[in-house]
Amino acid sequence: MSALFDYHALAPELILAFTVMAVLAVDLMPVPKYYAAVTGLVGLFASIIPLLTLALCSELSFCSDNGARLLFGDSYVVDTFSLVLKGLFLVSAFISLLLAVGYVESDRYYQGEYYFLLLASVFGAVVMASSRDLISIFVGLELVSGPAFLLAGWRKGDARSNEAALKFFIVGVLSAAILLFGMSLIYGVTGELTFSGIRAATVGGELPAVFTLGVLFVLMGFAFKVSAVPFHFWTPDTYEGAPTPVTAYLSVGSKAAGFVGLLVICYSAFANMRDIWGPALWIIAVASMTLGNLIAVRQTNVIRLLGYSSIAQGGFMLAPFAVASMVEGVELEGALFATVTYLLFYAFMNLGAFGVVMAGMSKVKSAELSSWSGMAQYAPGLSMLVVIFFFALAGVPPLAGWFAKLVMFQAIISGAPNVWAVLLGVIAAVNAVVAFFYYAKVVKTVWMDSVPVEIPAAELGGSGLNPALALALGITAIATIVTGLFPGVLSFFGEATRTFASGF
Amino acid sequence: MGELVVFVIFAPLALVGALTMVAARNPVHSAMGLLMTLFSVAVFYVSNNGHFIAAVQVIVYAGAIMTLFLFVIMLIGVDSAQDNQEVLPNQRPIAVALGLALLGLVLAAGSQGWVPRGTGSPVNGTIENVSDELFGAWILPFEVTSLLLIIASVGTIALAQFRPRAIAGDEADESAVDGELV
Amino acid sequence: MILNQFLILGAFLFSLGMYGVLVRRNAVLVLLSVELMLAAVNINLVAFDAYLRDAIAGGQIFALFVITVAAAEVGIGLAIVLLIFRNRQSANVDEMDLMKL
Repeated sequence: MSALFDYHALAPELILAFTVMAVLAVDLMPVPKYYAAVTGLVGLFASIIPLLTLALCSELSFCSDNGARLLFGDSYVVDTFSLVLKGLFLVSAFISLLLAVGYVESDRYYQGEYYFLLLASVFGAVVMASSRDLISIFVGLELVSGPAFLLAGWRKGDARSNEAALKFFIVGVLSAAILLFGMSLIYGVTGELTFSGIRAATVGGELPAVFTLGVLFVLMGFAFKVSAVPFHFWTPDTYEGAPTPVTAYLSVGSKAAGFVGLLVICYSAFANMRDIWGPALWIIAVASMTLGNLIAVRQTNVIRLLGYSSIAQGGFMLAPFAVASMVEGVELEGALFATVTYLLFYAFMNLGAFGVVMAGMSKVKSAELSSWSGMAQYAPGLSMLVVIFFFALAGVPPLAGWFAKLVMFQAIISGAPNVWAVLLGVIAAVNAVVAFFYYAKVVKTVWMDSVPVEIPAAELGGSGLNPALALALGITAIATIVTGLFPGVLSFFGEATRTFASGF
Repeated sequence: MGELVVFVIFAPLALVGALTMVAARNPVHSAMGLLMTLFSVAVFYVSNNGHFIAAVQVIVYAGAIMTLFLFVIMLIGVDSAQDNQEVLPNQRPIAVALGLALLGLVLAAGSQGWVPRGTGSPVNGTIENVSDELFGAWILPFEVTSLLLIIASVGTIALAQFRPRAIAGDEADESAVDGELV
Repeated sequence: MILNQFLILGAFLFSLGMYGVLVRRNAVLVLLSVELMLAAVNINLVAFDAYLRDAIAGGQIFALFVITVAAAEVGIGLAIVLLIFRNRQSANVDEMDLMKL
């Protein structure tokens, strides 16, 4: 059994699983409720430590087993790719938890259970990052979405929150069923469950048409999870109805988990099927960025605007996938690098943007853009943060977003000049310009418009930020500025994942 | 040959159950239709050497999940008349077209042939064999599933537990958790 | 040993389930339709497993996980349905129209 259990490699998961249970236990004890949140934060921090030791160990020669660690017969792999993404999940969970603390406390919801569900969802994401077989990745994906369904309905008395949960749930289980049907076809054609087995079984050789169908079903299943057009219709409603900290988690943590699943399954299991998933994702990427941006322009509610913007940003992340069928070698690695890097930068910007929305809502009690006008006059600090995060999302240098967009464009045009790649690049460029307009519209409203008269002057200014939200905003703002000036800080982690695309 | 006889008997039953499920006006009939399908599917598991999985199907699906469904249907007293009027125009034709397209796609792709049949000895789906695999190679997803069941129960309690005053009108989201909680 | 008829049956049940998800209004019945789709997936998995003579019985293990996950999802889904019913005295999906598309 000792060969089966590599406790060092599993340490992040074990610590996180222990934390999840500890949060539930602390919640039952006669101590202040915020102890549960503190337990969760400490646990998340503790589970990052083994990630670092594992990363160090994979490089050092005197470590007993350096390099990638394969567990459970190839079905669970701890390599630099999975370590980087686990780090992303844990850090974004840390910020999501900070965002939630004040919110859940102020409305006296079920606090302990909230943190428990959030951490359980993160645990699923962490498992997904290492899963290299159909069963583990499916179970991990369900563990990511299951708590998310429940959290979306956490404002129990609010009909909008109920509606958000129901829509999210129905779309979620439907996509899971489609995903499973695709997986069953893939299993039937290859007779394998592990990704390495599927890859080996699909080298060369004639594959029946059913396999193509299976690949397409699996893509559809994941497209629901990353809310790519035309599988996006649940996103704006769920984002608006769910409690705002949950929305922040959905648009970053849960979405990133979907992308990681897509990355792993496309580049690993379907490595020989690039001519199937490349064109399919080309269409989805173009549709997502175009439709997401065009609808976002018309939005008057900041949360719905961010919802559609996250659909469009998802399209930018999918764009490098689309060119992967046209390139080989270094360029293929570049495509993977572009998606991972975009994901890393996007996590900080978007969490920060939702943090600003929460702070703004605590001031004016509304997410309608019209009620935000003139905020700079009574909340200059917050308005500065609006500028930072919304311009970062738009890709304005020197804030973080520009580098993510740069590597995305590099990946698209790096291959041989190809009409499809060029067309994709042009569409992405047009979309980046369109996106700038609605991000700038928010900034303009906050800075240049006058304060609406119907808001009583006494309510302006409101209460100060709670410390947890302020801390979350501080972390994300500093990350957004620093990684914009020195993108190497984050792209270093993206570089580390490069070999995943071609290391087979 | 025996396998074919079993299929000829139970496949129509499964289909009739499924059709009842999607077409019945009365939700209880729908649930019963699904129950029939699930039992027929369990028979197919047995004919494919899946003895343990067939037992799980009957115990978990028919025994637990369907009971839960029936319980909820009875509890909320689904009104059978609700299901008749259409809100979206042409929803039903579109759904039929989508369903048929899906079916056609799978059948057309499947008719082009499958993988060659395996050569080893027939699959052994007894409890002993399945558990050897489940608690060996698949121990990690197994443990993850246990966490999934815990979150389902914790979340269900947190969501479905209401205090009497919580079902109030407009300011319900504020009053949902009156008093000291949990 | 036979394979194709199981897959055809699976395709039929899956399509019927998909149709059910699209036309049924009541959230409980939508959930029942999803269960039908999962049953179709399980037929596929077990039939492939027997046909391929998979030594590790991968298809059967997968089907076992599908059943367990489905059980957890039904629990979550019915909790959400009950929550909505308590607030609105209705479980119709189409009445969920507070927010514009």
